[in-house]
Amino acid sequence: MKPLYIPPCSSPAPAPTLSRRAFLRTAARAGAALALPTVLPAAVLGREGAVPPSERIVMGGIGIGGRGSYVLGVFLQEPDVQVVAIADVQAGKRRAAKQRVDARYGNTDCATYRDLRELLARPDIDAVLIATGPNWHAAASTLAAEAGKDIYCEKPCTKNIAESLALAETMRRTARVFQAGTQRRSLPNFAFAVELARTGRLGRLQSLHAQPLGLKTVMSGWYPPEPAPDPEEVDWDLYLGPAAWRPFNRRLLNAFHFEKGGGFVGALGGGGVLEWGSHCVDLCQWAADADHTAPVEYEPAGNRLLARYASGVQLIMRDDGWLPLGSCPVRFEGDAGWVETADNGDLEASSPDLLVGRSDKIGGYPADFHIRNFLDCVKTRGQPRANADVACWSHIACHAANIALLLGRKLRYDPAKNEFPGDDEANRLRGEALREPWRV
Amino acid sequence: MNTSCPRLRLPLALGLWLLAALGLVCPPAAAAEVPAEDALLRVLQTSNSPAEKAMACRQLARRGTARAVPVLAPLLADVELASWARIALEAIPDPAADAALREAAGRLQGRLLVGVLNSLGVRRDAQAVALLTGRLQDADPEVADAAAVALGRIGTPAAAAALKARLLEAVPPLRAALGEGCVRAADHLRVAGQTGAARDLCDAARAAALPPPQRLQALRGALLVRGAEGLPLLRETLRAEDRRSFQLGLRVLRELPGNRVTQVLSSELPSLPPERQPLVLAALADRDDAELRPLLVRVVQATNTPALRLAAVQALERHGTADALPLLLEAALAPQPELARAARQTLSRLRAPGVEAALVARLTTAPDAQRPVLIEVCAARRLTGALPALIPALDAPQPALRRAAVRAVGALGTVSELPALLRALDTAPDEASRADVESALLDVAGRAGAAALEALLPLMKNADPARRQVGLHALASVGGPRALEAVVAATQDADPEVQDEAVRTLSTWPNNWPEDTAVEQPLLALVRSGTKRAHQVLGWRGYLQHLQVDPRLDDAARVERVRALWASLPGTEEKQAALGALGNWRTPAALDFLQARLAEADLVEAACSALVSLASRNIPGVSAETRRAVLQTVVEKSPTEATRQRARGALERMR
Repeated sequence: MKPLYIPPCSSPAPAPTLSRRAFLRTAARAGAALALPTVLPAAVLGREGAVPPSERIVMGGIGIGGRGSYVLGVFLQEPDVQVVAIADVQAGKRRAAKQRVDARYGNTDCATYRDLRELLARPDIDAVLIATGPNWHAAASTLAAEAGKDIYCEKPCTKNIAESLALAETMRRTARVFQAGTQRRSLPNFAFAVELARTGRLGRLQSLHAQPLGLKTVMSGWYPPEPAPDPEEVDWDLYLGPAAWRPFNRRLLNAFHFEKGGGFVGALGGGGVLEWGSHCVDLCQWAADADHTAPVEYEPAGNRLLARYASGVQLIMRDDGWLPLGSCPVRFEGDAGWVETADNGDLEASSPDLLVGRSDKIGGYPADFHIRNFLDCVKTRGQPRANADVACWSHIACHAANIALLLGRKLRYDPAKNEFPGDDEANRLRGEALREPWRV
Repeated sequence: MNTSCPRLRLPLALGLWLLAALGLVCPPAAAAEVPAEDALLRVLQTSNSPAEKAMACRQLARRGTARAVPVLAPLLADVELASWARIALEAIPDPAADAALREAAGRLQGRLLVGVLNSLGVRRDAQAVALLTGRLQDADPEVADAAAVALGRIGTPAAAAALKARLLEAVPPLRAALGEGCVRAADHLRVAGQTGAARDLCDAARAAALPPPQRLQALRGALLVRGAEGLPLLRETLRAEDRRSFQLGLRVLRELPGNRVTQVLSSELPSLPPERQPLVLAALADRDDAELRPLLVRVVQATNTPALRLAAVQALERHGTADALPLLLEAALAPQPELARAARQTLSRLRAPGVEAALVARLTTAPDAQRPVLIEVCAARRLTGALPALIPALDAPQPALRRAAVRAVGALGTVSELPALLRALDTAPDEASRADVESALLDVAGRAGAAALEALLPLMKNADPARRQVGLHALASVGGPRALEAVVAATQDADPEVQDEAVRTLSTWPNNWPEDTAVEQPLLALVRSGTKRAHQVLGWRGYLQHLQVDPRLDDAARVERVRALWASLPGTEEKQAALGALGNWRTPAALDFLQARLAEADLVEAACSALVSLASRNIPGVSAETRRAVLQTVVEKSPTEATRQRARGALERMR
């Protein structure tokens, strides 16, 4: 008799996924006509089999911390990529990233730089991964674009509305390929849900729901001075970069939070819509076919933020009432049905019929597909899924929501003029001067 | 009442507000009331704290008027506060702010001057053109760069003229910024309708010795401003020897308006270098011009270049009609795998009118060789109208056809198709086919939910134990109380393998709250009185997972459940797993329980690891001092360096 196999148990106990419907794998192998854009076959792009060095995309990594390390690892797996340099203001992170790159290629060739401008000055580099803290994302992307590099930039990509518009304009003017690190745009469960919304299978679209995870404060501000470290170990001036000056304090070295969403909004507790909103609000924008606009109204309502598009469709940012499908959930409701999905890769819908032909379940929001899309576009010069225009408008929706939360009142926004009509105070919050010498 | 904040000697509200803004106290949850302009100006004039002044500047960005400008302007010379002052000055709409920035530009140097020039550019201050023009010749390259970009942002004819005049004589370090400035200015001119001036400026920049990125920006500007008249230049660009110019051409090819672009480039495609043709075709396909369709069909039919044919097949997704179906079906059966894959993908996505009806109609009339592809495409397109034609194919003698039909029914089927799938389970000719059918069955059952039970429950009475196991899997995909009841009953099945499978199924029972909470009791029964050790182990693992997600329980209740079962746990691994879970339940009881395990040699590491997880976070009813002591104990007692390191890190963060 076949013995009952018990897999080894790890300790501590693995956190269970809230939904363990392991058998709910609807027709994965049949595939589905997803809303994902086409990627040219490898033969068209010269990446069949081994890719000769002369045809690889030569890349540099800028700001490689926790998230950056993961994304860098994905780039390193791609056969048509050669990472040749790392720039980071912190020596420890420079060293760790170099070690990783060198281990991948079996040499010691990866160059390191404290100042990203030195890396960008290298003419052999075609593209860069920007995974600094969000404080630097737009300014570093601008520098990279002016240096003729294509850019994969982690999110959130901008700190305010003005930066969002400037980033999109710069990428157009410099004809750069830009991909925001909103990798859920390239994941099949989200694409499937979006396709249901965009193709009318939910009926007339009524409301889109996003969980920006806590209309909460983020760390920023100004802490008591501490002795500044050796610049070779931590270059505080470069770390601050475009952020207004303040003395060194190691609490601010958590780049993930530093000046996120605009130090102004964050410091006042106005909200951290941007951190997760740049994913889930972005997905709602996609579902609403609103990649080139943003909602026209934003209203704080208790623990929710209610926004409305010019079409009348509502965008509801909320933290409560979600199905247990994992992080970053979105829900799209039409007058004929609804669909909800999130990071565990499952989909729930008002009717099983809506899920007919759903695609492979891929949980855990990997970036592989998104990065492949970026690399293919580097070669074709096409627009990636989360290009600068797409990112611009989804970020604007988040920034406008943040401003409404900060001011604690309903705002109207005109996406054609990019202004809050007749609202001087809100309009002033659209942008913020950068510390010298940086600009976007 | 004149209450004041003693340390700052400021009104209490203002003091608290500034502290919050500084991150020194918890920020307010609701929208913060901003102090009045007078109060903020008083901070700038009287406070000795740079931090307070910085935050006051930030607030003046929101509320400041012309009155704030003379108080802010002196800060432009302050290395620490200049950037804060510009946050306010850039935002204040009053022209006094422009005047203050211009005035500062006359007296500052170095980076502080760069900042001011940047702000003048952001504000597009046309009155600053003269001073910025002068700064183009500044000895400090950063200043000259900033002046060039600021002029580009301002973008008036005068600013453009200043940039153009400097283009030819500029030294190399300035050329990049000059190029950027020229292209920015040309964009402004183009938007303002001054296309001639914009074209001249772009052409001048192209002729100058700019670095490659700026030269390409100028080329793009020159192409776009010319519109259709720029086609000869675009053709030239697409034939350029250097890769980057060609790549720029690909981008502009997508941007240039007008279907004449497509007409001209389509006719020129064959004369381009072969390796560039697929990329140009892909760029043309990104345009919405119907003129491209005849070329695509021609390429698919006649080209000898595989990469070009691939690109054409993919482009048909956007441009093809129902007429392209025969061509695509033929390509889908091509011996070249990439071509076949691309054709199937295009067939699955082609959205033109009449395509879906034509696909379904062909299911019964197409040659046998094409039918598996057609079925696959119908499934991918979710054409439920195809189901009647698919059911007979479930028993087809051709393996490829049968397999495609089974998968498609799994993808598209509803309760109505379950009987056909159950029959197919019996008629499947081999093990692999049966596995396909089972998979399809689970897919349909998972979607249908409880409605599938009438068809599935009889499986549990089937004489064949293998069928009963399939039934268990299908019931698990449905979930709910009736399915659970049947699975529990199967733990007493006459066949030991069915028993094992039932236990395994229970241990990962769907958590479809609230209807699946009933699994708690069967799992507990397995832990306490399972007939095999393996059953006890799986029962415990299932129960532990259940505990962690059962919404009826709070953390204290979860700890109590573990404590009550502790003596019954089947082995060390199970105890270690329980300790891991305890690390997530922030209660004093969990802390006590874990600490008590530090004396047990086989559990000490699991306890230490869980204690780090637990004591790193706030625990209601437990002081920070106690948590620190616990972490210190871990540093002393954990056998592994990684855990000790985590404990030390947590202690560091608590400092």
